[in-house]
Amino acid sequence: MKRFRAWALATTAATYFLIFVGGFVRVSGAGLGCPDWPKCFDRWIPPTSVSQLPRTVDPSTFNVTLAWIEYINRLIGVSIGILIFITTILALKHARRIPRIIYPTVAALVLVGIEGWQGSQVVSSKLEPFIVTIHMVLAFLIVSCLLYATLQAHRLVSGQTAPAPPETQGLKRWLAPLWGLSIVAIGLGTQVRSDIETLVKQFPGEPALTLLGALGAVHVWHLILGGLIVITTVYIGMKILAQRGRISTLSAKSTWVLMGVALIQVAFGIVLVSLALPPMLQVFHLWFSSLYIGALLVLHFSLNHHEGINHG
Amino acid sequence: MANQRTLPGKIVVVAFGALLVIALVGAYIIQKANKEHMALPVLGSVPKFTFTERSGEPFSEKDFIGKISVVDFIFTSCPGVCPVMADRMSHLYELYKDYPEVQFVSISVDPETDSLPVLRQYAIDHGVTDNRWLFLRGPVEKVAQVSEQGFKLAMGVLPAGHSSRFVLVDDKGQIRGYYSSDDDQSQLLLEHHIRAFLGAMKK
Repeated sequence: MKRFRAWALATTAATYFLIFVGGFVRVSGAGLGCPDWPKCFDRWIPPTSVSQLPRTVDPSTFNVTLAWIEYINRLIGVSIGILIFITTILALKHARRIPRIIYPTVAALVLVGIEGWQGSQVVSSKLEPFIVTIHMVLAFLIVSCLLYATLQAHRLVSGQTAPAPPETQGLKRWLAPLWGLSIVAIGLGTQVRSDIETLVKQFPGEPALTLLGALGAVHVWHLILGGLIVITTVYIGMKILAQRGRISTLSAKSTWVLMGVALIQVAFGIVLVSLALPPMLQVFHLWFSSLYIGALLVLHFSLNHHEGINHG
Repeated sequence: MANQRTLPGKIVVVAFGALLVIALVGAYIIQKANKEHMALPVLGSVPKFTFTERSGEPFSEKDFIGKISVVDFIFTSCPGVCPVMADRMSHLYELYKDYPEVQFVSISVDPETDSLPVLRQYAIDHGVTDNRWLFLRGPVEKVAQVSEQGFKLAMGVLPAGHSSRFVLVDDKGQIRGYYSSDDDQSQLLLEHHIRAFLGAMKK
């Protein structure tokens, strides 16, 4: 079981890394770096110069950096698929009779297969925003399944299953709505991004800062909802931390991470708007939202399955 | 105890350092990719010619200077590929409606049929209201020569044998790229390159 936990944890971390790379593909505009799928310009190893392009391809469609960014995303994706496959085999070996581990692991395996196929649709749709968003949502689901399986394995390894003190149970009820709201906020965030893309296309010469002013209600809702989530997170986080000594280390740590990530998201948001949306910051903003979702999951779980009192 | 206290602090510092490094590397890669878009090779210069625009005004190779131009060869009575080309051109014409620096130039390969009034009607039919999209008429031999030797686009038996490609010409009258008009990917790239040249012109 310890071996499974280690694998599941490593796979979860690797999937978080892949989500980061995926976000990078999006902002760098590498999504169509390889116009075909699964090969890149009809080659298994992407071309490094124009001379390697097949004769039928228009050389002006080729950008070596973008092709490699996209292809590395695919390679890491395949590697994660293999990792999840191994995790599933370990689950079948060590946790055959534990549905709470088998189900999420197998779900992750199925979803990663779908994600791979869906990736081909992203390419063939020429980056239709809705289809790109689905690609991201699937990645969030996969990482949630893996994280859940890891937590379940952790529970079995550490042994304790008693719920946390009753004072925290009321607070725990807030976490599910927070989860739902964050999903909506993330959805709105992706919409803001595709709105900006549309505006950039419509007004190619305008600086991004001017375009920001042209963003409509979606942008405002994203701001309001994000602010609401952060305030609630900090409020609940402080209340949970007030129970320190009676809650587990994992609960305390995940609360700190949750609050930290929420506050950093505010900082990112402010800098994004004031610096005309630097691409790398967009990636971080999205990636931290996936960390936030993860921390929520861990906190909820650790309040449910209390694994020993933190006397530190 | 003291050790435990400092540990989270250290993690935070390392995490921020890592984020900063990733941000810089990422920004560098993105910039490199963008530069590659800009580093479109100069494929040639527009040839010398003087044709007549639908308005009756002359249009010569000098009219490419200071503008980003998309050039194609058409004829108004064309049943096959031209409607697609015209649709694509209309799309671009709409897209850049606030950018007088971007012009579209359609050269007729069938001057016999495409008199200036015919070209004017064709423009109206495609929603053209200003001089951002120009329609040129010239002697057919000269048009073929300009196409084949100047823009390096092969011509078959005219009028149907004209190329369906779009040519991107920069503000110095240099040919910077060819784009097939029947491919979405190629069109996206054309838009991207126009945007890049627009950005470069503003600086």
